[in-house]
Amino acid sequence: MMPMALNTFRVFLFLTSFPGAEKHFVRLVKGVLDWWSGKKIAVIGPTASGKDSFLARLQNREIPRVHSNSPMGETVKSFRVNLALSHNRAIDITCKGVINIGGETDYRDAPSGWLAVCKDSDVVFYVMTIKDLSGKKFLKGRRIRQDLDWLLTALPHLKQGVLIHILINKIDEEIVSHTDYRALAEELAKEISALDQTVKNVLHPYEAGYTGATLISMKNKQIYTRAINDVLRAVYSGFHGTAKRKRAG
Amino acid sequence: MRAYWILPNRDQRDDILASDGETILPLRQILDPKLRPEGFSHGVPTELLEKCEPKAFAEILFAQRFPRWNGDKQLFSVSTPAGTDSSGRVVHLGLLFILEPHERPRFELPYAGLSEEDQTYASALIHRMTSSGRGDSWAQSVHDLSELKSGSRPATNVALDRSVVRFYSLYVVGPGGGLTKKALHWRNPRMTAIILLILCAVVGVWLSVRACEQSSRSAVQTGVVTWRFN
Repeated sequence: MMPMALNTFRVFLFLTSFPGAEKHFVRLVKGVLDWWSGKKIAVIGPTASGKDSFLARLQNREIPRVHSNSPMGETVKSFRVNLALSHNRAIDITCKGVINIGGETDYRDAPSGWLAVCKDSDVVFYVMTIKDLSGKKFLKGRRIRQDLDWLLTALPHLKQGVLIHILINKIDEEIVSHTDYRALAEELAKEISALDQTVKNVLHPYEAGYTGATLISMKNKQIYTRAINDVLRAVYSGFHGTAKRKRAG
Repeated sequence: MRAYWILPNRDQRDDILASDGETILPLRQILDPKLRPEGFSHGVPTELLEKCEPKAFAEILFAQRFPRWNGDKQLFSVSTPAGTDSSGRVVHLGLLFILEPHERPRFELPYAGLSEEDQTYASALIHRMTSSGRGDSWAQSVHDLSELKSGSRPATNVALDRSVVRFYSLYVVGPGGGLTKKALHWRNPRMTAIILLILCAVVGVWLSVRACEQSSRSAVQTGVVTWRFN
């Protein structure tokens, strides 16, 4: 019998190869390695969305032994992210000045909260869960939409040209609770497309900085490794597109 | 004095809840997030949990004091781990005091309006803070912080290495999760500066006297040499 995690990974590959989700996966563009080196990232998102786990994965650690609801902003020691890409290439990102902070709206709205975390970042990762997506929490008045509204007010105070990428975590949980993967893939493609549209509308006139949403699992290492590679390429591709548009117009 | 419970976020809600002991309401209605001082913690910092063994979590009390907050008020808070949420993450119960400038916190807030699970942690916290505290170094450290002479710097009962703000602190976590009082050091920076200035002045005077002695001696020697050559 195939181990559960491997099976989940195969279904993940099927889901991400489906039309609609496919557009989030771009080819490795030359220069991606150089561009990412030395970039500063920020990780924000609702509580229990997987921010701590993402930081742990980036540091090549397992999910923290002591896992706590983060009650205050705490600095994280600088660390290097070393990710293996295809063709024996690797990527190095130095994460400096990282602050780990909670996801409750109280932290978002505090002066030393999310804004302080995002201030000098080149790329902001917004982590949400697959349940937020299927529960349509990006609709008006709901949590994800409120965070996007907050992001719009924060963007003028952030670094010029900052890029925003959404990570949709816990896809592994959705896979194990389904049997009809084709139907799931269609549903996800529709929901991601609706999310994309909402983000672009809400973030206008900064929508060019949005580089898309990627399905990921912090818990399943195989899914994480595959997804993070796609994220790095998608963000670089987003940057490339923005720069091209700037040059053209 | 105004006192409130900061409730554990067991259900992974989007906002933090608080209670005056009877009614439950969002914390932001009591303490606007925009007015929360930099470094304010809604629970026990993760670095303290990492320094202690999980079996010692129940012992931990983390306290903060922000003098001269929002004009002439002061904020004082105490928190303790209070079980886990639905994902198994440690959650926290806190006691928040909004005090007048020279007021001390009184640990008498009712907890009958809290959930049964929260009541257990609330009663244990009140009991620890109102009993003699002998042998309870964490409770003692909270008392010491509340008795600390009013200064302008924010302070914590235990030293933190990863906070975004530098706090004055009284204790450090020792190996095994116990607390050790920090070595006595100069608490008043102004006094320290005056003492350093006096020391510098004394050393300066002594050096100049010595220099004078040396220069007069060398002048005589030069004179002797000059005379010989002549």
